[in-house]
Amino acid sequence: MTPNTGTYVSGIGHGILILWALIGGFFLRANDPLPLQSTEVSLMSSEEFAALSLPDASPDVPTEALEVVAPEPEEAAPEIAPTVEAAPEVLEPAPALEPEPEPEPAPAIDVPDDAPILPDPPSEQASTAEPTIPEAEAQPEQAPRVAPIPAPAPEPDAEISETVTPEVVPDAEPEPEVEVVVEEAPATAPQEATTEIVTEAEKPSAPTESVRPKSRPKPQTRVAETPPPETPIVPADAVADAVASALAETTFAAAPAPAPAAPTGPPLTGGEKDALRVAVQQCWNVGSLSTDALQTTVVVSVNMSRDARPETGSIRMLSFEGGSEASAGQAYEAARRAIIRCGANGYDLPAEKFAQWQTIEMTFNPEKMRIK
Amino acid sequence: MRLLKALTLAILCLGAAIPATAQERSGPLRIEITEGVIEPLPIAVPTFIAENPAAQEYADAIARVIAADLTGTGLFREIPRDAFISRITSFDSTIQYSDWKAINAQAVVTGAVSAAGDGRITVKFRLFDVFADAQLGDGLQFGGSAGSWRRMAHKVADAVYSRITGEGGYFDSRVVFVAESGPKDARLKRLGVMDYDGANVQYLTDSSSIVLAPRFSPTGDRVLYTSYETGSPRVFVLDVGTVQRRALDLPAETMTFAPRFGPDGQTVVFSLTEGGNSDLYATNVNGGGIQRLTSTPSIETAPGFSPDGSRIVFESDRSGTQQLYVMPAAGGEPTRISFGQGRYGTPVWSPRGDLIAFTKQNEGRFHIGVMRVDGSEERLLTASFLDEGPTWAPNGRVIMFTRGTQGAGGEPALYSVDISGRNLRRVQTEGPASDPAWSPLLQ
Repeated sequence: MTPNTGTYVSGIGHGILILWALIGGFFLRANDPLPLQSTEVSLMSSEEFAALSLPDASPDVPTEALEVVAPEPEEAAPEIAPTVEAAPEVLEPAPALEPEPEPEPAPAIDVPDDAPILPDPPSEQASTAEPTIPEAEAQPEQAPRVAPIPAPAPEPDAEISETVTPEVVPDAEPEPEVEVVVEEAPATAPQEATTEIVTEAEKPSAPTESVRPKSRPKPQTRVAETPPPETPIVPADAVADAVASALAETTFAAAPAPAPAAPTGPPLTGGEKDALRVAVQQCWNVGSLSTDALQTTVVVSVNMSRDARPETGSIRMLSFEGGSEASAGQAYEAARRAIIRCGANGYDLPAEKFAQWQTIEMTFNPEKMRIK
Repeated sequence: MRLLKALTLAILCLGAAIPATAQERSGPLRIEITEGVIEPLPIAVPTFIAENPAAQEYADAIARVIAADLTGTGLFREIPRDAFISRITSFDSTIQYSDWKAINAQAVVTGAVSAAGDGRITVKFRLFDVFADAQLGDGLQFGGSAGSWRRMAHKVADAVYSRITGEGGYFDSRVVFVAESGPKDARLKRLGVMDYDGANVQYLTDSSSIVLAPRFSPTGDRVLYTSYETGSPRVFVLDVGTVQRRALDLPAETMTFAPRFGPDGQTVVFSLTEGGNSDLYATNVNGGGIQRLTSTPSIETAPGFSPDGSRIVFESDRSGTQQLYVMPAAGGEPTRISFGQGRYGTPVWSPRGDLIAFTKQNEGRFHIGVMRVDGSEERLLTASFLDEGPTWAPNGRVIMFTRGTQGAGGEPALYSVDISGRNLRRVQTEGPASDPAWSPLLQ
């Protein structure tokens, strides 16, 4: 018995339907613009939003530092205290915070035998006038307008840290039945820094207007203070993402060591990427870079551990653009320091998306930071 | 069958598209960082180790000079010593990176000083990149007489600065200037030379005649300046080592002023006024005639060479107001490069060759500014009642200039500023000072 044309058409049609059910999600996902919105809603809590809204938490608030950058020249600004001279040397052999598991071997002294020998300075000249030699320790006097961050020491009540940590003090009256030892810890706060260069000429001699607060770095998804609805908005492909994420977690649970060749699961939302970007740029200090290094864009790759800390040994420069190898080296070192410093306590990355951020390529583009 | 073929083709196309779609989702996470922070780099400079008792008096002093050099740039912030967790007990001891990370030190300079019986001392140092857990560059040592201990400290600071920033240092350099004294209407002036930070002042001339605009030679061993000791302004050259001076071989009946060496150390370009008209001329410092570079009825002055010696920048009022021009070193048609509001003067070419510093007067205020050699990207760095006479640090990163204060008791003083416009600082001098000129790095 030979099937007729209707049987062929029916078979092919059913086959297409089955294929579409299996692989159609890929096409929908590729063209669907919804994932960013829906994922942000699901991940942004009111506490996080409140934290982002805190002015002190904003990493892009240069106003205080700018005040330091350009005080008025006519003002009798207080000179920087000569802490260098006055600071008493108190070298107490305090124990290390973290005992070094493997102390670094003493670097080999590479002091060349034929080190340059300085010629004697110009001899005291028999000038026609009385030569007057000042005190050997004469130091440049601090100008009324001083360095951007002149403060030689952190605030007395706050230690320097990359993250804002509220002060923790022992409870005055701890619960008797609950023996909770609360270690006293001082408050910490990030150091002040500026992201703009304002010259004396550009800064008027007297304030002409009040400081205008700067807008937040990126528009964040605004979440109402009310609790989220019982039934969250689910995008069309959320089910597929959730299945992929669950599969990824299952895979990690079964074999935690191996890493997938390609990231799977839901991608990071725009807000999550912004949070990472803001966290890194807080520590990207270009103040000590040369003008050549400020012309150089470097791409740096870093592998992350599951606790969202950068694996220091994995950091490497992939490419650079706009400068020499030497300037690229300086730019890379600054980028490397930024990644390590601000990642010391782990970046705020969603653990369930580890596969997405296991390897990160960061492009450090100093175009906005150049001396103009 | 045709329908079957079409469906098969469509399925194959879909199959080919699937990997491409998946590829878009593969690869590492990519982000771009475009906004960083500008803050001094925290650096720790523990007291150097005195390797013998005779070196004790230098160990701490050298470390203090190094720290002052670095923090004076505005690019570094010294961590107070009482914040240190680790102490350096030996030059060969291993530093505990975790201890320095805990106090946010990003670089640590360790060193040692030894003094020999013949009055010579040796200074050696190491630089550590704390967050790289590694030494930055090799250890280095300098030797010299005990009297030059500040120079050795400056050299260590230059090396540290260069390794961290990637730019050359400028600490082991000197500045020649005009030291002033007396009332404002009867000021006495003499030439002085000092370390870049104001230390080790020596005077090169007495105050019997007015001296102006000293300028170092490219090797730093000679100084050109203008003196009124013959009654009218004349260009002199002075040997810094012997303090011997002589007038250049120029026409005696003219007034010559505003001299500056060419990069070859032999050519001198200057202004010459004859019959009420000032033009630019060139000559050899050892004599041999003069060469006229400009010939206009306007006032041309303040000439200066580009680092390669191919061009000269100068100021002229040929357009009716004081502006900046660039022309070939042998003379020729000049190109005006300043077009902003106000008057421009005293141009100086950066040692890097990329910028020209100048004095600008506009709306009753004086500014020190920089612009590209084609006149673009003009930036004003300072503003005050009187700022004038910029001179470049050997690395082209810092400018020193004269700032005058208003009133009968007003006095000039020397200031320095970074080319970013930050880190304005007063250079300490014994008294009023003006007309600074920075030397190249000492050899």
